[in-house]
Amino acid sequence: MTQARTFKVKSPLARQMLEPGGRLVRDAERLASEALEGHRDDVMATVAAALDALDAVYAAGVGRGQAAGDAGPRIYELASSIIDLAGYFDTGPLYEAAYSLCDVSDRMIAAGVWRWPTIQVHLQALRLILAGGCRAGRTSEALLSGLRSVAMLTPAA
Amino acid sequence: MARPDTPERVNLARSTVLLVDHNPKSLDMLSSIFQGFGVRQQIKRGSTADAVEIVQTKDLDLILIDCSMPDMDGYDFTRWLRRETPAPVRYTPIILLTGHAAQSKVHKGRDCGASFLVTKPLTPSVLLQRVLWLAGDEREFVECDTYVGPDRRVRNFGPPMGMTGRREGDLSAHVGEASEANMDQSEIDMMIKPMRVSL
Repeated sequence: MTQARTFKVKSPLARQMLEPGGRLVRDAERLASEALEGHRDDVMATVAAALDALDAVYAAGVGRGQAAGDAGPRIYELASSIIDLAGYFDTGPLYEAAYSLCDVSDRMIAAGVWRWPTIQVHLQALRLILAGGCRAGRTSEALLSGLRSVAMLTPAA
Repeated sequence: MARPDTPERVNLARSTVLLVDHNPKSLDMLSSIFQGFGVRQQIKRGSTADAVEIVQTKDLDLILIDCSMPDMDGYDFTRWLRRETPAPVRYTPIILLTGHAAQSKVHKGRDCGASFLVTKPLTPSVLLQRVLWLAGDEREFVECDTYVGPDRRVRNFGPPMGMTGRREGDLSAHVGEASEANMDQSEIDMMIKPMRVSL
């Protein structure tokens, strides 16, 4: 068994934050939210471009059957870039659908089995959700429910 | 007097924060958030190699790094900082940010020694809460062959004293700051000296 050493560390950050001055917590949150909001349009345009790229990877690879090759990691990377950006805003169903795409592609890569139809339904759902302004509602819930069913059938490593 | 659930003020004006993300848009958004928090000294880097160089040359108070950095990822960067840098650099608080945690990375996330792993979706409020947690972090630092970083048994301690989310059974090593001068040895001796009492 290894010998563990435990001790207290008081970081300079902790001392600085307790110093007088600074901002009210609610003001800090408000100012940060306002500053973040200025990026929204740019981010949504980037998300749309990532969806175009996903469609292109799908179109190029759909004939390959269970051999995804480089397309698998590329799909994961693009889906991951969507949740990295969309995750800063309340994009509800869009975030959830992109997360599901990350999840299924990660599992298929790990299992060595690739199913293009699983990717196709995710891309279609993402398109519809984006076109609907990422609003949560009956339509988005039906789409997400479908994705959950598909995800349950996706092999795990 | 009841303690407030969260501190009313936060002072990050003198703090130097390193933000690391390979996605320039994501890096800009993080920067905007920390500007809103009142951080004046931000260092932004788009690669882990550049972040390593900064760690070796600048005094930093907080590091935020994306998990899925290419080449050396956020987990490996954290592990490197905790194990390969001298004190007090190795104790620098690190918040890891992740969107999707790939199955193959779950154990790396647990074992790398980060102060917190924050998953998206991420709001400024959630991020500020985590930064505030760091101010009252009561966890001990652990160093052994297999792990270097804050004690991972946070479940037993819960959030720091005074923060939202503490439960009745949460433990605490919190004793507060000293408010009086230390007692001298004779006073301590008197307190533990056996004395006859009349009942």
